[in-house]
Order: sequence, then structure tokens, then C-alpha cells
Amino acid sequence: MSESLSRGRAGRRIVILLVRVGVSLSLSLGVEIRSPAQTLPPRDLTQFTLEDLMNVEVVSVSKKEQKLAKTGAAIVVMTQEDIRRSGATNIPDLLRMVPGVNVARVDHSTWAVSIRGFNDVYANKVLVLIDGRSVYHPVFSGVIWYAQEMPLENIERIEVIRGPGGTVWGANAMNGVINIITKSAKDTSGGLITAGGGSDAQAGALVQYGGKIGPTGSYRVYGRYANVGKSDAAAFAQPADAKRTQEGGFRSDWNLTPRDLLTVQGEVRLVDGGQTLTGVIFRVPPITATFGQPARDDDGNLLARWTHRFLNGSDISVQAYYDQSHVFVFGVNNWASIGNVDFQNHLRIGGRNDVVWGLSYRANANRFSGNSLVTLHPLERTDSLYGAFAQDEITLTQTLSLTLGSKFEHNSYTGFEIEPSAQLVWAPTAHHTVWTSAAKAIRQPSNIDSGLETISAVQPLPGGLYGLVTVSGNPNTKVEQLRDYETGYRAQLSRRISIDVTGFLSFYKNLQTTEPEAPYFNPAGGYLAIPLVFDYKAHAVSYGAEAFANWNVTDRWKISPGLTMLNMSVRRDASSHDPTIEQTPGYVPRRSYQVRSFINLGRGFEWDQTLGYTGPLASGDIPGYTRLDARFGWRLGESCDFSLTAQNLLAPRHAEFPDIHFVDHMQDQRSIFGKITWRF
Amino acid sequence: MALLSSIDTTRMLSLFLILGAFALRAEPQAFDEYQVKAAFLYNFAKFVQWPSGSFASSTDPIGICIIGQNPFGWTLENMVRGKMVGDRAFAVRQFSDTQQASQCQILFIGSAEWKRTRALLEAVKNPGVLAVGESDDFTELGGVISFRLDGPRVRIKVNLQAAEHAKLRISSKLLSLAEIAKKQP
Repeated sequence: MSESLSRGRAGRRIVILLVRVGVSLSLSLGVEIRSPAQTLPPRDLTQFTLEDLMNVEVVSVSKKEQKLAKTGAAIVVMTQEDIRRSGATNIPDLLRMVPGVNVARVDHSTWAVSIRGFNDVYANKVLVLIDGRSVYHPVFSGVIWYAQEMPLENIERIEVIRGPGGTVWGANAMNGVINIITKSAKDTSGGLITAGGGSDAQAGALVQYGGKIGPTGSYRVYGRYANVGKSDAAAFAQPADAKRTQEGGFRSDWNLTPRDLLTVQGEVRLVDGGQTLTGVIFRVPPITATFGQPARDDDGNLLARWTHRFLNGSDISVQAYYDQSHVFVFGVNNWASIGNVDFQNHLRIGGRNDVVWGLSYRANANRFSGNSLVTLHPLERTDSLYGAFAQDEITLTQTLSLTLGSKFEHNSYTGFEIEPSAQLVWAPTAHHTVWTSAAKAIRQPSNIDSGLETISAVQPLPGGLYGLVTVSGNPNTKVEQLRDYETGYRAQLSRRISIDVTGFLSFYKNLQTTEPEAPYFNPAGGYLAIPLVFDYKAHAVSYGAEAFANWNVTDRWKISPGLTMLNMSVRRDASSHDPTIEQTPGYVPRRSYQVRSFINLGRGFEWDQTLGYTGPLASGDIPGYTRLDARFGWRLGESCDFSLTAQNLLAPRHAEFPDIHFVDHMQDQRSIFGKITWRF
Repeated sequence: MALLSSIDTTRMLSLFLILGAFALRAEPQAFDEYQVKAAFLYNFAKFVQWPSGSFASSTDPIGICIIGQNPFGWTLENMVRGKMVGDRAFAVRQFSDTQQASQCQILFIGSAEWKRTRALLEAVKNPGVLAVGESDDFTELGGVISFRLDGPRVRIKVNLQAAEHAKLRISSKLLSLAEIAKKQP
């Protein structure tokens, strides 16, 4: 009852907002008719002389983007311009702008980010890559967003693929893939200094310099600092969720020959802060308490990639990286070392076949040190993962193409796994593309799934006794499987309007459950053990749609509306007694909408807003919320710009996600952040 | 923070909207890359002389053909609509390959077609076709003019051998602004 009430209220609110926006739009359009600018002759490029044309500055859409218009998958690309104009200071905030990505801020240092359901602080069905390096943690089974810091200025683009990508990217690319690609060092020559600060003790600074090495090489080096303070004590009694980042890195790109490109890049990072946790504290008898706990991440990585392009259009690339990280969270430590090598070959065979195939090998060594709350068996473990994939894009007719492929991968938990896919793309004209696809993808088990030992709750019992609820891994791991069917339509409806609509139907098999086992008395510990053990006894069906559009209202004003719909139902096996699995769909809103507006005011002024509604989360009782973020930017010539970004203008604070994995959720607060950027 | 809380939603939105109205009066920003490239294609028609026999009649339109993926959207059509060079109008066409290249005076091969650029160029070695491309090695592969981005600006490169081969006369005005491709051995 209360849920439907709050939903109704939120619904009305967004309607009111949209009506107001609509009124203002029509007002603005009214102005357009009378605008003196309209009476001036339009700037017709055909009137320009050749010299003028040579001096015109252009904004280019990446080549990749043109190819993406013909892709048989639900893909969105966020460009550097989108990133700059989002005013975001961290990657999860950027991803809020992408239709289909569900981003929730749990506290100032903790995020839950997922695609098409299963959201969690360790959302385990989405793969995230930064320049081809996977940041999906091999032990925690998910991306630790806390540690994913980087200078956003250096990102060239972010590609978000909704739906399975296992054929190319392998395990865990189940519900989506997020590819973050940084700029070549060639494009970042010169100096760059940014400094910013704002409410909640936000502060940030970047110092970067790039140049040439010899006739063919270029480099950049940077150092960055970022800070955010604790949540407002008025909203929560004991906030401990501050976070501070210090990092440094470099990238160098070498054109060894006109057809050979070598990239070498690396970074080191230290993130420290904390979280407010609620967990069991060991006393006799044990109690449940809420306390602040430090959190820390230090990591470093080094990556090299060589690409050779043949004259006939084929290419070969080899990439290797080493990544070392230490995570300290809820009092446990994990040290991970990952070595990874990828080989990829792109061949054009005859006139019709465009083949990509590749080989990959990865080894990761983990060392864990637990505490009385959380530990892992065994504490040290080394795993290897190797695989091969091949994919062929077959041109059937001038307008029809079929892509078939599969990944074959061996992991040390479940052995060989196959992830096939097929995509049919029909592009009847240059402006319309219809596609449909079918794919299988998996999530592969991790150390946590097989060897977790944790005490999740304490239960006082009569007679001074107590029970301890434990959650344990299960060495008999299984892969979680997805069979997914999608269809989509992309169109350039007019010179100013483009749309993209995707519908999907997904069947999940062998989803992880936590099964209660018979309680027993532990005489040595003097407590009643209430064990829960992982198993794979749930199945789910989900369907939904994502749609978005870009409307260039005028040459200076762009509006991008988007909507995301997801309906999921989870079913247990008859033999399963998992008391909570049916709450899984409730961790993601069934509906969310957003409208973004980008305005070039002229004379270097920019005024951008995002208005979005996120539906309520049934699990954890998080009401739906509407947020309005706004950015004001001012470019002072070529070398300097200034921006002011305000988030959550509509309400002082709102919750976005329930408590999860001991972490107490905070409220996302209204905030403001100013930044100066100087290039030289 | 107190300041922010005191600004209510309505006022924020009104401000957003009023400023939105300003957007319509301001100076336009930089052009899209393909708007500028389309304008270059239009200019090429003015600064290139085709060999006699390229056109069926003296009023035959200048055919601009886009092979494969069209990065221009409608920009090119809109730009040349109603424009004349001498007595000739323009006709923009799209083809998936070069079989109908006889209708094309200007043939544009976008970078999305880089894999088959070489094959496409081999197929249009007949005189009277101005092959324009944008991949790095377009002129090396036998194309006549290629676009290159130099930071935010569009540059052009001309392969004189290929132009001669295609019997095209490129005006010195255009050549003086272009980069000349090195002679192929």
C-alpha cells in the first residue's frame, strides 16, 4: 500500500516536471521564431572559400560510431564531449547518463552499478574493461567501483553494450560490457591542470603533461588527487564514508612504422577511506553493532599493446598486462596479481567474410587474510583461464548481414564453457537498421563462491544461548547461464532526430541461491550454528526495453530523452529453501526515465541539465526519486575553462540503495562542485 | 548548502528554461566534420575539370556518389540542392559498390570502408572519376584526394599521378592549399 502510494506520488511529480519542461520548451521555441538570429543569413558552408574551409574547426564523430550504427547489439557510446558536459567527477556518476545502466550510490565511497538487473555492490554479471584490461575482481566477483579512479579528461569514449558479450569478451560479460577507452598520447600533448572543490569536502586536482619522443613517439604523464568527505551526520549517525584518491600514470604511443602502433601505459593508485558497517562483533555473547571501518585499495598495472595493420585491411594485435592490487574492506585483505595476454587477428576473407578470432590466457594469484567475520578457504589460490574465440560477419546481401561466433573458454572451476551468439542485421537504407540476436553467456564462479566463510547475523536464543547465521561457499560450483534474445531498431529519422530502441527476453539458469542447512550445536563455541550454503537452484526470466533519442532542437541545443524498463521474475527449484532469492528483482527499479539537455549559450557558455526519475526498489524499501543535475560551463578561449556542477537540486537528500554486504547505506546529498581547467 | 536548499524546484526550472531560450540566440559552435567535408566536395566540383566525354550533355548533373556507408547523413544532399556549377546541377547517389561508377564524377569512399578501399579503387581506374577518401593510405592506394584531420581542422592531400591517370585537371588554387602526396616508386 505504502509502496504504491509513494510510486503514485513520484509518478505525479515527474508528470508535473515534464509538463513544466514542455511549457518551457514551447516558450523557448516561441523565442526562436522572433529571435533576431533567425533573420541573419544562415551560415552556409557553400559560401565559404577553400581557405575558409581549411580554417573551420570541426567536431568529429568517431569513425567507430558510424560502424556502431550497424551493429547487431544494444550499444551506446559516450564521447569525451558527453563526459566533459556531464560535470561528473567519477565514473559511476558518468554511467548514470547511459540509458540501461542502473547506478546507485550506497554511500560516498560505495557504488552499485549494473545492467538489466542483479544490482549489487559487487554486481557480478557485468564486465568492465579499461583499455582492454578487465577490472572485474577475480575474488569479489564484481567491479570494486571504490577503486576505479582515473582522470576523466583522458577518456576518449565509453562504450556500453547491454546484453551478453561472452562471444568476444568471455565469462562474466553476461548482462553487459562497459569498455572505457583512453585517448592516445598523441591527442594529449601539452600541459593540463585542473583544480576543483565543492560541498561535502570535495576536492580534486590533476596535473598532466604530454609531448613527443623522437619523430614517432608521444607520451603523457599525470598525477591526480581527489577527495570526498563523509556523508552528512544529520542523515546518519556515524558516517565513515570519506574517500581520498592519489594516483599517477603514463601512456606512450609509438608509430613504429605507418602500420605498426605500440602502446605502453601504466598507473599506480592509492585509495583510502571508509564505510559504516553493521555486523557481528565477537564478544561473549556476540552482538550486532554499527561501526566505522576503514577501507583501502592500492593497485598498479602495466599494459603493452602492439597492433599491425596489413595493406589488405586485415590486422593483428597482441596485448599483455600485469595488474597487482590490494583491497582492504570490512577488515579483510586480499592481494591479487593478474597476468593476461590476448592475441587478436582480424581478417577479410573474400568479399563477404569479415572474421575476427583470438586467443587469450590469464593467470591470477590471490592471497586472502580474513578475520572472525569473513574468511576464505583456501586463503591462497592461483587460477588460470584460457580461451579462444572466432566470429564471422557474413555479408548475405547488400542490406543483410549475419554474424556468427563463439567463445571457448576453460576456467579452473567448471572446465570448458562455450558462449555462442548469432546476430542478424538488416540495414535497408543508410538511415535505418533493424537487428536481432540470440546468445548464450555465463558467469563463472570465483573464490568467494567456492570458499567463503562468513558470519552474517547473530540470533539471541532463550536461556542465554545464541545462534550464529553463517554463509558458506560450496566447492561444487556451477556456472550461472543466460540465454538471451534481443531485437532492436536504430534510425536517423531526420537530420536532427535519431532514435534507438531495444527489446530483450532473457532466461537465466542456475542462479546462485543460499540454502539453509540443519542447525547444529557447536559445543566448543557454545553456540547454535545456523548454516546457509551456496547452491545454484534458482532460475529467472526477464524482459524489458531500453529506448533513447537524440534531438538537435537547434544547432546549439540538444535534448536526449531515454527510458529503461525491466521486468524480472525469479523461480526457485522445488528443492530450494532460499528465503531471499525472490527479492533479487527488487534491487533494480522496474522503470527509469531521464531527459538530458545540452545548450551552447554562445560566447563559450554552456548550460546542461539532466532530469531523471528512478523507480522504487521493492527490496529494502527504497522509494523512487527524481534528480536534477545541472552544469554551467564557461570556455575562456582555447586554454581555460570553468564549470560549476550542482547535483540533486530537487531534494536535499535521498537514498538510492539499501544496506548490503554489511555496508549501511547513506543518502545521496545535494552537492555543488566547481572546477577550473587550464591547458598550455 | 543552506543557500541551495532555499532555491526551490520551480525557480530552478524557470532559470533552466530562460537560459534555454538564450541558446537560440547565441553564436553557433564549430561545424560537424562531415558538414565541412561535404562543403569540400562541393568545392572540388568548382576546382576540377573533368575530361570531355565524362558527361552525356552540357547540362548533365555532376554525380557525387557515396560508396558503402554514408557518413554525411543528409548533409551533402541538403548542401548541394539547388546549387549549380556552370550549367550543371548536382546529383547525390549512394551505391554499395562501384558497378555504377560511370554515373559518378566524384566518388567518395568513407573510412568505414577502409577494408575494401584498395579493391574499390582498383575497380574505378577509368578516367573521369575523382576518387575522394579519408583513410590514412587513401592516396597511396591510388585515390586522388584524401581528407585528413589535423586537430580540429580538415586538410586535403592530392595524388597528382592518380589525377593525371584519371585525366582530371585540378586547379592550381586547390593544389596550392593541398598537401601533395609523394610520388609512388
